Amino acid sequence: MLDAAFLVRRQQPGLFLSALSYAGGLAFGLAISAMLLVQAGVPASALIDEFLVAAFLTSDGLSQTVTAALPLILVGLASAVAMRVRFWNIGVEGQLWLGAVAATWVALHEIGPESLRLPLAFVLAALAGSGWIAISLVLKQRWGVNEVISSLLLGSVAFLLVQHLLFGIWRDPANSFPVTAAFPQASRFSALGWGQLHAGLFVVALIALAVWFLLERTRAGFYADAVGLNRQAALATGLPVRRTLAGLVLLSGALSGLAGMVVVSGTEHRLNQAVGNGYLFSAIVIAYLARAKPFWVVVVALALGAVFTAGNVLKVFYGISEGMIVLVQGTVLISILMAQFFSTYSLNRPS
Amino acid sequence: MDFLIGWIAIIPNYATPLVLASLGLIICERAGILNLGAEGLMAVGAMSAAIAVLFGNDPWAALAVGATAAMALAFLFGVATVVLRADQTLSGLAVVAIGLGLTGVVGRPYVQKTFVGIPNLGDIFALERDTTLGRIVAVQDPITLALPVTVGLLWWWLMRSRSGLRLRAVGENPAAADVAGVDVQIVQLGAVLASGLLCGLAGAYLSVATSHVWVEGMVASRGWVAVALVIFARWNPARALVGALVFGSADALVPRLQAVGADIPVYLMMTLPYLLTLLVLVIGSISGRRSGEPAFLGRIYLRQDKH
Repeated sequence: MLDAAFLVRRQQPGLFLSALSYAGGLAFGLAISAMLLVQAGVPASALIDEFLVAAFLTSDGLSQTVTAALPLILVGLASAVAMRVRFWNIGVEGQLWLGAVAATWVALHEIGPESLRLPLAFVLAALAGSGWIAISLVLKQRWGVNEVISSLLLGSVAFLLVQHLLFGIWRDPANSFPVTAAFPQASRFSALGWGQLHAGLFVVALIALAVWFLLERTRAGFYADAVGLNRQAALATGLPVRRTLAGLVLLSGALSGLAGMVVVSGTEHRLNQAVGNGYLFSAIVIAYLARAKPFWVVVVALALGAVFTAGNVLKVFYGISEGMIVLVQGTVLISILMAQFFSTYSLNRPS
Repeated sequence: MDFLIGWIAIIPNYATPLVLASLGLIICERAGILNLGAEGLMAVGAMSAAIAVLFGNDPWAALAVGATAAMALAFLFGVATVVLRADQTLSGLAVVAIGLGLTGVVGRPYVQKTFVGIPNLGDIFALERDTTLGRIVAVQDPITLALPVTVGLLWWWLMRSRSGLRLRAVGENPAAADVAGVDVQIVQLGAVLASGLLCGLAGAYLSVATSHVWVEGMVASRGWVAVALVIFARWNPARALVGALVFGSADALVPRLQAVGADIPVYLMMTLPYLLTLLVLVIGSISGRRSGEPAFLGRIYLRQDKH
């Protein structure tokens, strides 16, 4: 059945065909998502209003979109960096939580002189994130434990640790919700005077630039591609496979950890239970849609930031539930995955 | 002693959904398709079954509804991975996102509405609940009771029957199976649907047999534990039963300790099942080089690759 006999892998899918099937998949996924939203009670006209006009073309909306995109860029890069070496980092949320915990620790316990609080939080958040993924890395490299499962399970463990802290020693007694006290001013990114946007913008921009340079312009980036495309061949050629893999995976964890710091120091100004929610699927979707290319990660993250901005509006005005964003992400992802078939394979009659 | 009895009594309750889901995943992965979507499939099963009961259906019929709904989502996964040969890891994650998202959107009006679910043995047979044995047996349900038989039958089918051999052949060496006249895609599609059915049943069990209510996030990573359990079980149904009992006991410990009012760091205790899973995965890969993983798991078969 299914014409298995005639299905042939294309040697080199043309650029036009690849672009066409990608665009087709994206359009189909978005169309289904739009139908789901209309089904859920959002008028079709409001979709365009909220997504295009409100999220990009108004000053308030744009600042919200950019603010929401900052941690998304970091987790998207985290996922992309790991994807380059074909290591499935499904524990982005866990590393993000750990990064947020590290930043919160510096802020609440007022570690170090005030001027060094943010740099210290930055370093510790990155270390915490890469420390957390290091567990999965070691398990994989030493014993061949599947990283999809180990990193995901460690994500759940990280969330429970945060719960332990929020319901325990870090709980703000003045608040009825399980949240920490607000950060002192020295541990917050300063506001830029445009909506909620904060100085984390420059940090994220620099990181994105650095990751782009690393992956696209350095030898390490070249090694990474070699390892990701064909590990056996890379080994045979004598490339430093293990070191490249380890380096990029640890970088992936560090980027996720920094995303956690950007959220708590930039927008929330405290640790709460919602800090890391929803970043796992966002990270995967961004990295996959961007084909693990840093430049496109930034573009897709901005688009997803708009979806979050619009999602908040739809939640308030039309009672759309939180699950809708995850549903839309899943729909678009599987739609593009399926559409890829048309550029990867061709139906040829054997001559 | 009292604590011990209470603990032992609820372990099967925690183990049953894990067994059902991992059986489904074993069938699917034995046919060479890596299915990471269990979490989403279980969520869909749990919600659909709960809604079916809330609409006045019999709880037993609701189990079927849950299984069917999850099968529909599994079919989408099957079309993506088997027919269109999409990446199995990413497709599985997409299924989780769709399942969790869909249940969040569709299930919202039905959250926290309790209903009458599957009765336990104590209610069905009007058992005495005073004796030790009575206290343990009375809280079990018919599904749990049927579980060892189900596992046995499935083991026999997979390891001893002709069609089971065909399924395993597809996961080990699809080219050879193809030459021998097995329709690789049909077998894989069937295996994916079977995983949908069993994962859906596992989810439905959570809402209709255990909790008698639907809440968002009810599956709470059990689907992922099932994925790990399959590796621990080395793709063998009988070992999956043992593994599920171990995890079930770890999982059941925290609520029991809370119930007797023990002063424990609850959230740290709740990490126990996850850490145990990791430990077991490590031990599993240290002890056995022959891990039992189907040779073609997660890979894409095309006739052009045949040698």
